[in-house]
Amino acid sequence: MMPAVAMVSILAVMCAEQERVNADSAIIQTFLTRVNDYVKLRKKALQGLPAPSHSMKRGDLLKEQQRMAERIAVARPEAKQGDICSPEIAAELRRLIGISLNSPGAEKLRASFRKQDKAPTPLKVNAVFPDRLPMPTAPPTLLINLPQLPPEVDYRFVGRALVLRDTTAGSIIDFVPDALPVPQ
Amino acid sequence: MRRIPTFILPTALCGAAALLTLAYGQPDAVFSFPLQVDSVRFAIIGDSGTGDAKQAAVAAQMVRARSQFPFGFVLMMGDNIYGGHSNADLKRKFDIPYGDLLSAGVQFYACLGNHDSENERFYAPFNMNGKRYYNFRKGNVEFFALDSNYMDPGQLDWLIQQLAVSTAGWKICYFHHPLYSNARFHGPDLDLRQRLEPILMKFSVNAVLSGHEHVYERLQKQHGIYYFVLGNSGELRPNDLRPSPQTAKGFDTGRAFALFEVTGDQLYFKTISENGQVVDSGSLPKQPTAVAWLGRAEQLLR
Repeated sequence: MMPAVAMVSILAVMCAEQERVNADSAIIQTFLTRVNDYVKLRKKALQGLPAPSHSMKRGDLLKEQQRMAERIAVARPEAKQGDICSPEIAAELRRLIGISLNSPGAEKLRASFRKQDKAPTPLKVNAVFPDRLPMPTAPPTLLINLPQLPPEVDYRFVGRALVLRDTTAGSIIDFVPDALPVPQ
Repeated sequence: MRRIPTFILPTALCGAAALLTLAYGQPDAVFSFPLQVDSVRFAIIGDSGTGDAKQAAVAAQMVRARSQFPFGFVLMMGDNIYGGHSNADLKRKFDIPYGDLLSAGVQFYACLGNHDSENERFYAPFNMNGKRYYNFRKGNVEFFALDSNYMDPGQLDWLIQQLAVSTAGWKICYFHHPLYSNARFHGPDLDLRQRLEPILMKFSVNAVLSGHEHVYERLQKQHGIYYFVLGNSGELRPNDLRPSPQTAKGFDTGRAFALFEVTGDQLYFKTISENGQVVDSGSLPKQPTAVAWLGRAEQLLR
């Protein structure tokens, strides 16, 4: 009798775990759909602009980047923090980051964060990362555990925030405040 | 090479000025490049793009060195352009200081540092062809320029694929953030090391070059790989090195660049300060095989 009860309990736990995995998976899918929607909108907004190319004259690249950022901002004038990273998605991203930060060897990851240049960067959706400040690096262990993004978008960590950034326009697409725990 | 870190205090003379220079390790007094016909010769600079007189002084020494050691290309360890990236900035921080080398047909191959704009990858003189990471081959040496600002799974997969099919006798990876460093300001990037080093070990990468720390440091071989950190070709963080038993040689009181010559089974190097003083030199044998590290690499990759 006892083994049967134990088996039922194990199955119940497994089912609950599977439901949670499915729910997490659905949240990630929603996130990636929103990111892909951004990529489509971006593509449309940039129609007619020359794609950055290594044949461009120096200096024109900077102007093109600014032009791209402006076009994207015009295409999503109402965009605000949380549009892509809704509270539910933000919670899931924080959970994934937490897994990395609590995994074996996470001390190396935390050490990498401690070594980041501390440059205050105000975060605002559609604003461009200032090119005079050092670009925050993204530790590979975190990138491995976060959902894979299309090449037009990347993750950056600024202070404790996780930022979604347009890789060519350099603009902030959305961000998750307090994605990283308070430093010990 | 047998190197025991020791403290020496040589006095360097540059013109009429006597400069006190602190270097760690023993200089190789009899070193000279073999200058073999089929060798691969190049220079490396790191954290160079300040646009100031010190960067220009290093560049002038590079031109001077090239008259004796004709190198065909320069590897840039990142932080190629500090601050703004306007037309005038690119001119002042790259075109002008390296104008003589560019005019002579010397090519530059950049990787991105944390102070660089990602759009530098489109800047034609950096030869990145729009890519954050890329590889190219010169003679028997294949170079892998990586983007250590954003070492995502896609880049790691790409590196594994490229290293797996490489038939080059020498494989050299370079990227901005050092896996090993004894400088105080940043120190080694341990998370990057955790992810990258097993791949470098598994595929028998011979040497790894980095910048980020504004000093020069050559390390003792780590898991069969030679490591150089050179991030003082423009910027400098004086007296920032705290040599450890890992340190084979260090220089943290002046700017520097390095020259490399790779022949069949030897890598020759010479690191030169902005005053023309040789602060490190020597030759390193090609590592016989990575078999000794394969088990450890597989373990780390799991």
